[in-house]
Amino acid sequence: MSKSQKDFKLSEEGLAFVKKELTRYETKRSAILPCVYRVQKENGGWVSPEAVSYLSKIMDIPTAYINEVLSFYTMYNKSPVGKLHIQVCCNLSCAMNGGRELAEHLCESFNVKEGEVSANDEVTISRVECLGACDIAPMAQVNDKYIGPLKKETVVEEMKTLLEEK
Amino acid sequence: MSKKIIKCEINNQEVEVPEGTSIIEAFKELDQSIAHYCWHPGLSVAGVCRLCMVDIEGIPKLQIACNTEVKEGMKISNQSEKVKEAVKWGLEFHLINHPLDCPICDQAGECELQEQYMNFGQYSPNMAERKVKKRKVVDLGSKIVLDTERCILCSRCVRFTDEVSKTHELGIFNRGDRSEIGIFKDKPLENEYAVNTVDICPVGALTSKDFRFRQRVWYLKTADSICTGCSTGCNIKIDYNEEGLFRVQPRYNKEVNGYWMCDKGREVYRLPNKEGRLLEAKAPSSYSFKREDSLRPSRAGGNPVSSVEVLKKIRELFVKKEKAPQSALVLTAQYTVEEYEDLVSFFIKHLGTQQDIYYWRNNPESFDDFDGVLLRGDKNPNTKGLLEVLTNQGAIHSWESLQNRLKQKEIEVLWVAGPENQKVYPDLKEKIDTFESYCDNIIWWTAHPLSDSQKIWQIPTKTFFEKEGTLINHTGRAQKVKAVHQLVSSALSLSESATVLKGEELKKQEPPFLVTPMKTNHFTYKKKVL
Ligand code: SF4
Ligand code: SF4
Ligand code: FES
Ligand code: FES
Repeated sequence: MSKSQKDFKLSEEGLAFVKKELTRYETKRSAILPCVYRVQKENGGWVSPEAVSYLSKIMDIPTAYINEVLSFYTMYNKSPVGKLHIQVCCNLSCAMNGGRELAEHLCESFNVKEGEVSANDEVTISRVECLGACDIAPMAQVNDKYIGPLKKETVVEEMKTLLEEK
Repeated sequence: MSKKIIKCEINNQEVEVPEGTSIIEAFKELDQSIAHYCWHPGLSVAGVCRLCMVDIEGIPKLQIACNTEVKEGMKISNQSEKVKEAVKWGLEFHLINHPLDCPICDQAGECELQEQYMNFGQYSPNMAERKVKKRKVVDLGSKIVLDTERCILCSRCVRFTDEVSKTHELGIFNRGDRSEIGIFKDKPLENEYAVNTVDICPVGALTSKDFRFRQRVWYLKTADSICTGCSTGCNIKIDYNEEGLFRVQPRYNKEVNGYWMCDKGREVYRLPNKEGRLLEAKAPSSYSFKREDSLRPSRAGGNPVSSVEVLKKIRELFVKKEKAPQSALVLTAQYTVEEYEDLVSFFIKHLGTQQDIYYWRNNPESFDDFDGVLLRGDKNPNTKGLLEVLTNQGAIHSWESLQNRLKQKEIEVLWVAGPENQKVYPDLKEKIDTFESYCDNIIWWTAHPLSDSQKIWQIPTKTFFEKEGTLINHTGRAQKVKAVHQLVSSALSLSESATVLKGEELKKQEPPFLVTPMKTNHFTYKKKVL
């Protein structure tokens, strides 16, 4: 989030990725999904309006089309997230194993409201539905890793270690 | 390539249609009513509103008429209880989150939601759910306002910007009951055809800034006409009442404009309106009418006098002479064929020869432009018509030769049929200046006033709303405009002017249409609230 969104550009590999995706499907529009995801990855976990305009130019697809896809899926973040985006599952299996309390506990410990960014851009905590990993309930997706079963006693430490590794 | 013709039955009525026709098209062919929102004959099929349900014999479930092709021998109906029930519930779902704010909605009276409700409403709604609140006055650009709550997500407007204007500004953002139409922040809905989305929006979600809150549609009458904005000659409907004209909308013509028209063309409704018109003839300010001329007393800023009287005076001064003064006639392509014929033949008979007639071509640089959809660079409705009349009379002369003759002070009286739409004549001022500097007597027909002048006689003309006649578009297609009503009582067509100049009496005119001054909606216009 530190650098201005106006200057956002994909890396060389990112550009090559977009180029390849554009040839993979019957219509160019189908490539929006993976390309927006790539942008999110390279832009610190979220997709800014500036990044949409940028992508629209390199893909030669109207901004409205990209925004349709972006706004449809909750897995794309439309506002900045912390270095760790902790998505705590609160669906059935996880909820029964204390997922909701876990989310609350994390918010309190990092002193941040759900969905917002904590001090020093450290974490964003959000609740999500079943991530298909009920076997390790309660679990969370931290950036693109699944972690579980989580324990209330150790979860904060665990996250802090992950933060240090960042 | 002729398609196979197949037979089917719709509500027990037989109809023959070409293969590939959808059921809804067959309904339209028979003029049978069928509920629908998302289908529009000028757009692709979306099949999202689920309102066009029909029962097809032999198929257990109801089908949507817009996305089902007619097959040989099909028996189709939308009269059964089953269909009515389905439409009723479909409509109820559309209304779950609809704000039902008809009393403050500009679409009320021409809203398809209201219309369908009359036929298929529940009348005692069963929805206890809280409505999802959405954005209400969303500015989409300089021409259009969006109310996302009223939108029923038929996607007509999105398909329009994708398929017709090809500008792709609109999209459906978010998901489920939060879905809404929108623009991406860097691209407002500013294309040349944007207001068509207002026409095709079945509800009051998209409204035109120019028209909204100015009239309830049930206070308007409609007349067919032709757009005079350019040489395409789109077919239009004009909505008007005793206050004047309020808007124009496209009228379907497969050969000319299909279902659409451009946004510039929509401005032509302002041309006939009394505000801004030249209401009475004006003699040059140096020329003072005497009492015995039986004219009205002069007012400040020129001499407003009845046009017939002024033309009679002009006849006395410049026509009824032993030897006619050296005259030239300048024509713009903004009048009807009939007017050209009458004025030109009068001119040739009484004032000059074919050599003295000139064609004033505006904006020559962009004259032949075409935007690929409808709008043409030739911003005149009747260039073809004018040229045809001139060619028939053997009278086409280069503008330069007029200029030379003017400079040599050869021309004593200049007769000009000036533009009705002055905005599209960027060289208007320059031309007036040239004429004035080299000629002392100028007779200028115009619908809108020119600035007062020592040399120009201004004769008010009828606009396309007030006269009957033929306009020939760029393909050579002759189209008629009709006299709907007269807004300015002293306005004369060129033909009527020619009659008076010949010394003949005018046929008794229709009584002028009484126009009360246009009311302004102070809420929207003074406070600049959308
Ligand atoms: S704004 Fe109007 S035309 Fe567009 S989707 Fe909504 S209801 Fe349909
Ligand atoms: S394309 Fe020309 S004729 Fe058609 S609406 Fe526009 S200005 Fe009028
Ligand atoms: S409920 Fe949490 S992963 Fe399935
Ligand atoms: S008109 Fe057929 S589904 Fe909308």
